[in-house]
Amino acid sequence: MRPSISQRVRSVIEIQSLTKRFGDTVVVDDISLTVDEGTISVFVGTSGAGKSTLLRMINRLIEPTSGRVLIDGQDTMAIPEDDLRHRIGYVIQGYGLFPHRTVSENIATVPRLLGWDKKRIAARVEELLDLFQLDSGEFARKYPHELSGGQQQRVGVARALAAKPALLLMDEPFGALDPVIRHKAQDDLLAIQRRLGTTIMLVTHDMDEAFHLGDKIAVMDQARLLQYATPAELLTRPAEEFVEKLVGTAERPFRLLALGKVREAVEPGAATGKPVSASATLREALSQLLWMGREKLPVVDADGTPLGRISIGGILAHGRQPA
Amino acid sequence: MSAGPILWRLAALVLLVVFITKPELFAPLFEPLTINNAPAIYNQGSLLSLTLAHLGTVFSAALASAIIAVTLGIFVTRPSGLEFLPLSRSLVNIGQTFPPIAVLAIAVPLVGFGEKPTLIALFLYGLLPIFENTLSGLTQVSPLTLEAAKGMGMSLRRRLMEVELPLALPVILAGIRLSVVISLGTATIGSTVAAKGLGEVIIAGLQSNNMAFILQGGLVVALLAVLTSDALMAVERFAARKLGQSPS
Repeated sequence: MRPSISQRVRSVIEIQSLTKRFGDTVVVDDISLTVDEGTISVFVGTSGAGKSTLLRMINRLIEPTSGRVLIDGQDTMAIPEDDLRHRIGYVIQGYGLFPHRTVSENIATVPRLLGWDKKRIAARVEELLDLFQLDSGEFARKYPHELSGGQQQRVGVARALAAKPALLLMDEPFGALDPVIRHKAQDDLLAIQRRLGTTIMLVTHDMDEAFHLGDKIAVMDQARLLQYATPAELLTRPAEEFVEKLVGTAERPFRLLALGKVREAVEPGAATGKPVSASATLREALSQLLWMGREKLPVVDADGTPLGRISIGGILAHGRQPA
Repeated sequence: MSAGPILWRLAALVLLVVFITKPELFAPLFEPLTINNAPAIYNQGSLLSLTLAHLGTVFSAALASAIIAVTLGIFVTRPSGLEFLPLSRSLVNIGQTFPPIAVLAIAVPLVGFGEKPTLIALFLYGLLPIFENTLSGLTQVSPLTLEAAKGMGMSLRRRLMEVELPLALPVILAGIRLSVVISLGTATIGSTVAAKGLGEVIIAGLQSNNMAFILQGGLVVALLAVLTSDALMAVERFAARKLGQSPS
């Protein structure tokens, strides 16, 4: 679980035997899982695997054929649709910003629906613009078509978070961004999620994104949930061949290294050269070692205190298949 | 917009206003068109009051068309009204294909001479452009935007009033403009059934073989149409600019 500083609004999501059929086609087949509060669960799979349908059954944009969704123990079917959706943030690919409303008005949508007073809405909009590094003087009065793709994405997420929802559903939220901005946007989302402690369920077809963001990853194929596990487990103990293939056998060790931190592989001793941060991933450390042509580099923590050294051999041991 | 077109429009407006308030000033211009010392300027009523009556008829008919066509357009784009779409289309199409003069012929025995048959003819004739534009305006709203609105818990009514209609507005306005401009010209036939309007001037010209009258009536109607179209287009542009769309 991730630490949160403020706005501790969290929620456990329990999905119980959720099924959706359209005529004879089963789109989501008897899926059960629990999303822990304050974590990010990423749903991956090929297109048509049923990920989006699953997500859209959480906020009842699609009515399940059978099964239940509980939020903090409360059955979502017992909550009026619109009330439920006021409590769940929703971000889609392309964002669907209102083209006739300014950035501020877009962000204020749900608070306005909830009937917050003007002062409170204005303060919340200001707070979110600040959180998403959008200068309010510059952006508050702009219309969506005047924004870049990355800015639109941030407004889309800010709008979804406006009424402090306990749960945020994201359907390919980075799909419309070019790769350079995408990585930055993912980092920003992670940072914001850590700060707010919001529970997030995110759908993507991008494996790198899943490993980058997910506390847990749910792999789906042909309406079924194949495996729901931590990224490390998915790599070291794939439940089925499909999972193994999706994870990518060639990239497996590097993905594993990207999950580990330098802190976990620090050895005693000294080394010379440009120090590596203890909070960097092992993959980043390996990349730095290879690039600089060194066997070892010193490790320092955030305030520069030396902690020891890291070596290629030590890192490689972490990227190995567990015995 | 550059200053040129604005100046032209201003000139047209001034010309129109001067002409309908003090038509006798233009008598020398129209005299060459008359024969047998016929009057050069329409003298059987004030041009100003005829123009106002003409505009009144056109705008009341357009208002009624707009209310009915937009309401119908909204209704048949809702899930519950979807099945009425083909029927509504046919009805509105009949309104457009039925010649207004034939509507007059049918309406006069029913409602008598005067304004009423003209209003009915213009109302029916004006439905189609507004209805079709309402349909295309509402259906071209991005499904993403609607999905987001629904996902945030906006009720059906709010989605319609706060998202769909504002986004469809420029296209609906274009339909209304089209309808008004067509009606401005078509309304002249109302004078055949004794409705007050600029058609009187043209018909008087035809009856007395006075080219000057025909030209005066036509000129005033044409200027009204051009200026009204311009004004409504400016409103459309304003609405479209707010949406970040380029004016059509």
